[in-house]
Amino acid sequence: MSRLDDELRKAFRREQPSVDFTTRLLERAAQQPAPKAPWWHRLATLLDPPKLRWVAIGVTASLLLAIGAAQYSRLHKVVINDDGKVSLAPPPQTDGDKNLVSPDQNVDRREVMSPKPTLHKRVVYPSPNHRVALARQQQERELRVEGEAAKEKLMLALSIASAALNDAQKAVHDDGLKP
Amino acid sequence: MVGWEGTIALDKGTAARLDDRLERSALGDQFAFEEIVRQHQGMVFSMACHFLRDRSLAEELAQEVFLNLHQNLRSIKSPEHLVFWLRKVTSHRCIDQSRRLKVRPQVSLEDVPEPSIDATENDLFLSEMLRRVVDTLPEKARLVVILRYQEDLDPGEIASVLDMPLNTVKSHLRRSLSSLRDKLSRTLGEVTL
Repeated sequence: MSRLDDELRKAFRREQPSVDFTTRLLERAAQQPAPKAPWWHRLATLLDPPKLRWVAIGVTASLLLAIGAAQYSRLHKVVINDDGKVSLAPPPQTDGDKNLVSPDQNVDRREVMSPKPTLHKRVVYPSPNHRVALARQQQERELRVEGEAAKEKLMLALSIASAALNDAQKAVHDDGLKP
Repeated sequence: MVGWEGTIALDKGTAARLDDRLERSALGDQFAFEEIVRQHQGMVFSMACHFLRDRSLAEELAQEVFLNLHQNLRSIKSPEHLVFWLRKVTSHRCIDQSRRLKVRPQVSLEDVPEPSIDATENDLFLSEMLRRVVDTLPEKARLVVILRYQEDLDPGEIASVLDMPLNTVKSHLRRSLSSLRDKLSRTLGEVTL
């Protein structure tokens, strides 16, 4: 290091401002408007506690709702038989239920693990509108069956009444012919 | 080019204390801000004073720098970043002030008055002589010399503060020192620097 370097360091050593520098500065800073936080900082404050707690609660509630809706639609799937009847499918067997099958029941385990697909039923997962239409159709079919049964009963009642009336008419006719 | 991350190595305790002060200051703690100002006012004021050669102008500029800091405290990431930020903003404001006010008359090296007393006998006189000679350098070259000898920064750090290529900083330093040596050896005669 040369003497010039040393002399330059001496010449350019730090100096202090006047004693009231800080006081004046703080007075001016106090008069300044509060700095406005940028939008990303304001967004980040959402994650500060206790707001973080509310966000966590909201996320958990949304997840629970979504899981509940999925479970509900899975349990309420509709089965349409070949004869057109609509019925609710039983809930699917869980792995725990399968494990309940003991080997001494002579059940072919391969069948349990991979059941053959049923040919007589088809399983569909209808939309809510479709489900309402299917329910309405089933109701109409049931009403038609009930109507037919009522018609048959009515026809039977009419035939009985007709027979009774014929008998009565015949009896009256026979009585008129007697001297 | 060296970034602000590597400018100062602080021990963990000091860094944590300074971090805490910065954090409190960003949250509006005026006492924490006052501590920061008191810690760095010498650096900011001296840079401005050596560049502008006017104490009142330098104080005004230093106040503006700290007011700017007060508005931007949230963007300061660490104590090292704070020092880097202050040096950078002060440098740019010095150049702006110099250009705006034209406070410094352009004096060539040859016009600097010759000393009338023996410089070796009076360090204060030699220091003043050096400052006056440095005052004749172009703005960027002057800032390079101030950052090199006041703040003891290496050329890489100076390049980072002034947004300048490293080779430009080195050539500024080389030419400035050569000019200073020539002028002083002519002025002081026998004294070798």
